[in-house]
Amino acid sequence: MTARLSNRRIRLLLVFFVLAFLGMFGRAVWLQAVQAQPLDRMARGQHHATIEVPAARGSILDRNGVELAIGKQAITVYANPRHVADPRATAIAAGRALHLDPDRLYVKLADRSRGFVYVARKTDPKRAEALKALDLTGLGFYPEERRAYPQGSVAAHVLGFAGLDNRGLSGLELAHDKTLRGRKGQQTIVRDPFGRTLDVLSAVPPVEGRNVRLTLDNTLQANAQSVLQRTVRQWGAKAASAVVLDPNTGEVLAMASEPGFDANRFPETAEDTTRNRAVTDTYEPGSTLKVVTVAAALSEGLVAPSTPFTLSPNIHVADRVIHEAHRTRTERMTVAEILSRSSNVGTITLAELLGRNRLEAWIERFGFGKKTGVEFPGETSGILPFYWSGSTIGTLPIGHGIAVTPVQMAAAYATVANGGVWLRPHLVTGRPVKRRRVMSKSVSDQLMSMLRDVVIEGTGTEAEVEGYEVAGKTGTAAKPDPRGGYSQSLYVASFVGVVPASAPKLVVLVTVDEPRGAIWGGIVAAPAFQQIAHFALQYLEIPPDALPPR
Amino acid sequence: MGLLLAGVVALNVTVLRLNLRFDALAQERAQLRAENAELSSKLAAGASSPRTSSLARRKLGLAPADPSTMTYLDLSER
Repeated sequence: MTARLSNRRIRLLLVFFVLAFLGMFGRAVWLQAVQAQPLDRMARGQHHATIEVPAARGSILDRNGVELAIGKQAITVYANPRHVADPRATAIAAGRALHLDPDRLYVKLADRSRGFVYVARKTDPKRAEALKALDLTGLGFYPEERRAYPQGSVAAHVLGFAGLDNRGLSGLELAHDKTLRGRKGQQTIVRDPFGRTLDVLSAVPPVEGRNVRLTLDNTLQANAQSVLQRTVRQWGAKAASAVVLDPNTGEVLAMASEPGFDANRFPETAEDTTRNRAVTDTYEPGSTLKVVTVAAALSEGLVAPSTPFTLSPNIHVADRVIHEAHRTRTERMTVAEILSRSSNVGTITLAELLGRNRLEAWIERFGFGKKTGVEFPGETSGILPFYWSGSTIGTLPIGHGIAVTPVQMAAAYATVANGGVWLRPHLVTGRPVKRRRVMSKSVSDQLMSMLRDVVIEGTGTEAEVEGYEVAGKTGTAAKPDPRGGYSQSLYVASFVGVVPASAPKLVVLVTVDEPRGAIWGGIVAAPAFQQIAHFALQYLEIPPDALPPR
Repeated sequence: MGLLLAGVVALNVTVLRLNLRFDALAQERAQLRAENAELSSKLAAGASSPRTSSLARRKLGLAPADPSTMTYLDLSER
């Protein structure tokens, strides 16, 4: 009885073990064969991760290597609302730590239909650290690069802005985005349950963005901006812009616009303020364009600098009568005096000698009507008259009925200053510079001599810089009235000058939009030119060319 | 056989340790880069011309030199 009972128990145990092993074997087959692929995928999803390795954005440096735009580390705070235990308390704590509105955060955190929401993108690392220390469930943190402009407002209009995703959105940040951005890398890693990397299965390293070095000098730029700020304040003007150019290389040393703004606050700044007026805005140049007509007449061999003309104080052109700005009686003037005394009648007389086709060709030859290629997004080409009425031959040579950008005008005067070669103005170093001869050296020398007289005894005496010979030209132009014709009260005053005139090193152009109280380029813009040139000559240690007599 | 097995286990443990160390170093490198960028930013902001001239004016009472007081020596004749 006992033996039979024992055998029965042994058999039962055997059956139990056989069934258990069969069960385990079946389960093993189920897991290893039937469910192998889905489980493998699930395991990979838990342990393997493909992560993006961001490439650091390159810096933008000035010509001396001073950083104007750099990448800084910031922390992005996110949340999984489904894991947030107490949305109200979390919103209050996060709002306090990150200086955000808790009510807005609460709306995001309480929305359990979403598995991911941003709490704050690219926030200050110290604030994020403070929040992290509270150890709130459902919140996550990861580092990201944030664009910063350590010099604040210096060259803000030129630099532009890179957005939250580190892509250039405007200005040079946009123009050179490809160079600055680099290329993201990728890693496939195996993680432990704590998120630590156990193994790197494959890796594509990131290609870091390259630096872009500008031709701008941050000190000259800052000074030009502060001079413009003072000028706008003094004359109650709407805006102003300045360009400082090296006429021998085409390098832009400073490009300033006023009103200014802090580049770190680009997104909150009005679009009108962030515009780089020196490149994107056009104005009627007025008398500063007269140099083109005189250059053309000299180059075509129609006149010499000493050729005399008897000029009445006004001239009939088709249905219009154009007057001199300052002269009321008939006078005899040479071509040199026509330019230095800014005679409207004399310039129109020269234009009539040239005729429409030659005048048009020379205006285009000086680079007006097409983009300079300064490599700035949104550069405008200016406007040339598309329809020539009978009076166009009278208005165009004196700078009316044509719109130019400040950088076009600065490049035209650089052509006169460097012996007759137009050089592409540029903001970034290390690129080939397009150049073409516009006029002979002898004609450019003659023009420089005439432009010197403008500052010595003509309309630009306020531009004089002690110890230096200055050549330049004033410009005053009424603004077009949107209702037709020209405004009686709104003007653009400008001055463009070359210094030192005997061995030109700088071209400085200043335009002041809608000054009040005075309108003349020689009164409003020439002093600003003087201040910018004065500082630049001293800063660049350019020796004087007009030494006082011993 | 046992020795071989022990060797394989030891090798895997070493690889694991090295990977963990690698991860820690990568994080340290990222941290150092961040600090470096922060310092570069502070340096650039600190060295900016408007800030320097404003500090010189306010704290030290300095003013830009009068260009007419600058003297240039012409050494080309010597």
